[in-house]
Amino acid sequence: MKIIALNRRDFLRSSALVTSGLLLGFEASAAAKVQSVSSQLGPFLQMTNQGKIRLGVPVVEMGQGIYTSLAMSVVEELEMTLDQVEDIQTIFHPVFKNPIVSYMTSNKLQLQMTGGSTSLMGWGKNYQNIGATAREMIVSAAANEWDVSPSNLTVDGEYVINTITDKKLSYGELVEKAAKLKIPENPKIKESIEFKTIGKPIKRWDTSSKISGKAVFGADIQLPEMLYGTIKNTPILGSKIIGIDESKAKSIDGYITSIPLEDMVIVVANSTWLAMKSASKIIINTEGGNVDLNNESIKLRLREDSKLEGVQAGNKVGNVEEGFSTSSTIVEREYELSIQAQAAMEPLTATANVTEDHCEFWGPIQIQDIPVMVATQVTGLTPDKIKVNTTFLGGGFGRKTEADFVVPPIVASKVLGKPVQITWSREADMRSGFYRPPSLVKLKAGLNPNGVPHTFEAKVISPSPSLHLAKDLGFFFPIWIDENGYDWAALEGMPQQPISDIENEYAIQNINVRYVPSNIDIKWGFWRSIGASGNKFAIESFMDEIAQISKADPLELRTKLLKHNKRALNVLEKAKLQSNWGKPQKGHFQGFAYADSLNCIQTQVAEISINQRGQIDIHKITCVLDCGPTHNPHLVHQQVEGSIIFGLNAVILGEINVQNGQIVESNYDDYKMLRLKDTPPIDVHLVASSAKQGRIGEIGTPVIGPAVANAVFAATGKRVRRLPIRKEDLA
Amino acid sequence: MIELTVNGQTHQLDVDPTTPLLWVLREHLKLTGTKYGCGIQNCGSCTVHVNGKAVRSCGETLEEVAGKNIITIEGLSEDNQHPVQRAWAEIDVPQCGYCQPGFIMATAAFLKMMPEPEDQMIDRLLTNICRCGTYNQVRAAIHRAAEIQKEDA
Repeated sequence: MKIIALNRRDFLRSSALVTSGLLLGFEASAAAKVQSVSSQLGPFLQMTNQGKIRLGVPVVEMGQGIYTSLAMSVVEELEMTLDQVEDIQTIFHPVFKNPIVSYMTSNKLQLQMTGGSTSLMGWGKNYQNIGATAREMIVSAAANEWDVSPSNLTVDGEYVINTITDKKLSYGELVEKAAKLKIPENPKIKESIEFKTIGKPIKRWDTSSKISGKAVFGADIQLPEMLYGTIKNTPILGSKIIGIDESKAKSIDGYITSIPLEDMVIVVANSTWLAMKSASKIIINTEGGNVDLNNESIKLRLREDSKLEGVQAGNKVGNVEEGFSTSSTIVEREYELSIQAQAAMEPLTATANVTEDHCEFWGPIQIQDIPVMVATQVTGLTPDKIKVNTTFLGGGFGRKTEADFVVPPIVASKVLGKPVQITWSREADMRSGFYRPPSLVKLKAGLNPNGVPHTFEAKVISPSPSLHLAKDLGFFFPIWIDENGYDWAALEGMPQQPISDIENEYAIQNINVRYVPSNIDIKWGFWRSIGASGNKFAIESFMDEIAQISKADPLELRTKLLKHNKRALNVLEKAKLQSNWGKPQKGHFQGFAYADSLNCIQTQVAEISINQRGQIDIHKITCVLDCGPTHNPHLVHQQVEGSIIFGLNAVILGEINVQNGQIVESNYDDYKMLRLKDTPPIDVHLVASSAKQGRIGEIGTPVIGPAVANAVFAATGKRVRRLPIRKEDLA
Repeated sequence: MIELTVNGQTHQLDVDPTTPLLWVLREHLKLTGTKYGCGIQNCGSCTVHVNGKAVRSCGETLEEVAGKNIITIEGLSEDNQHPVQRAWAEIDVPQCGYCQPGFIMATAAFLKMMPEPEDQMIDRLLTNICRCGTYNQVRAAIHRAAEIQKEDA
């Protein structure tokens, strides 16, 4: 991406940010289709007159540490430290379309979005480049000042130093002169061997504001004369509102009004509390919906659909029919996965201020284009009149990619003519849909006389998590969703899928995967690690079953299937060592799982026992991970541990149930969450390698399930073929 | 008018006395460091101190806390220098950060009561939820905060 100097006039409308100093931006490349949102330009890198850095970035900070990572890339090139970075903002800009989304959709879909653990892969080098550009410009400014060659100068994070005379000029003193220089075409960026910051366990840039209470999340936005609101969903899934009765709410002092939408009512009052109180008094009349929808009918649907042929999913390898006909043993198993909610600690919330000729939006959103799409429809304004501001996200996990929580404040503000902030109650948030769909995974393997699988057939039966997105986008199908029903998001974690690293998968001669998109009328969406969370549970449990049948050690069986891959063998070797594989503490039992998703190679070993109350005690989880070069090992550790705990929650505790057309769970008392007392020690061992950079934001989630389930088998002899694990599965 | 003392400052509030303290803090006093997470005293994101004790502010009404001494995350220290905040910074605990003020407030009250905490007591008394899964770092930071508290004493 080419770097350009930004004209100060570009910022006149943007904000009160200091607009002096050296201001650099990315040039809109041909690939990034520019939309007319010129009022939203912001500096991507600003070096102030005090020699400090302010950054505008394309991605949102939802806990993954991307602000820190991108700031590291910048300061690396300027020999600076993170405490010299004064400010980082997510800015909405036409050049900030997610390059990986663009790639996956052959440039048809241009979205500024954070998701799929693509941020660092997509933007890291660009930020290193912009930092290097700033460095070369201040060095050139100093060279001009002293009339020497830039090759005689060096930088130390605060000063440009003349190595011959030892004279110094501070970055701050040089920025105004640097700003007048031509932008270097190809600034020299560091080789990894020269890194001083990248690759080191650097503490997060955002910690200070997050421990003082000053970090601004969605509902922390305050505007003069702002009204507050909340949401009341229709109780029955799929039902539509035909009318509301607000007479009881009217008796509440501070209640303002209710605005019914298709399947939710916006309730507005003088405070969020009064809005929530009023919402409980609103009576909703609905029609339609599916009162017969329940756990059993969903299970039955998946079971019925498993008889369908489905669609081809990914590459077909070899010939499975022939493979099965020559197998000495054939193993067939089925695995079931429950519905799960994202349940981020920050409930859905957003704020909007719609005036006659302008709309401004604030919210914890994963896709910055959505408020523009919504606001143009609701207000009739053109995109250049719509300003999008992104706050910190109090967790996203896939839920904050949706449009449903963006709509209400824009509608309410348009209707009421005042700024409105809408915060969903935990109950409304938990019952609003976009869950991880349930799935049934049927697997069949043919083994050779040595008990090693050479043939693998899978059928995944599950509603499509992406289909609603394709519908929202006017039935435009990005390459990961096919018109025939194929949905990559449901198949991730299965072998031979597009955009995966086939060489990290098990070497099996004959492979065929099929997918049946089930039609179940609930809103499905993206949940941390998408389809991998179910598919890896199935495959890795299945491998453990095969090892048992073949009387092989589960880890050794993987070694045989990964002979072709040195990285994988190395990880397996380390896993053996670090987990003390085969030698658990007395009374403890181990379970093993391997995963190849997201350019990473990973193993997890869970060490457990069953306590006297018949529950699982997890004593230790050992994770070995080769994710290629690590940008910041501290952040990798955080993400790996966090994603394991997120996954573990769905393995031993939480699930969303459906009864009589309603979601049963409504809050953290019935959709249970792991707490401090439930969290085992987690050892994460990073294996250095020169492979391409892995995507680590959701890496641990799918692997913990099979590791624990396989340990349960070791402990009890009972095979767990569904998640979450229930007490009756153990006895 | 109800009198409420928060972080040493006394406010006269013309607010429905049954309003939960959480919303009074957030929307009437604009102290937004205290977070709404569940509204049923389950998650602990709204933890503040009332007369030195950790309290989940979504479950206390304004009239129940009137006249008591309330401390929020904004009042815990001027510049993140409270031992618990120092430990949190040292271990670099937060990820998304939303639940962290609640954890910090709960820990600060806990350590006053239990200056030499054992893991069992941490397990029993620190029951806040973190969806990012920072628990092991939280545990390490609680132990570290206890050390800092001792060094300071």
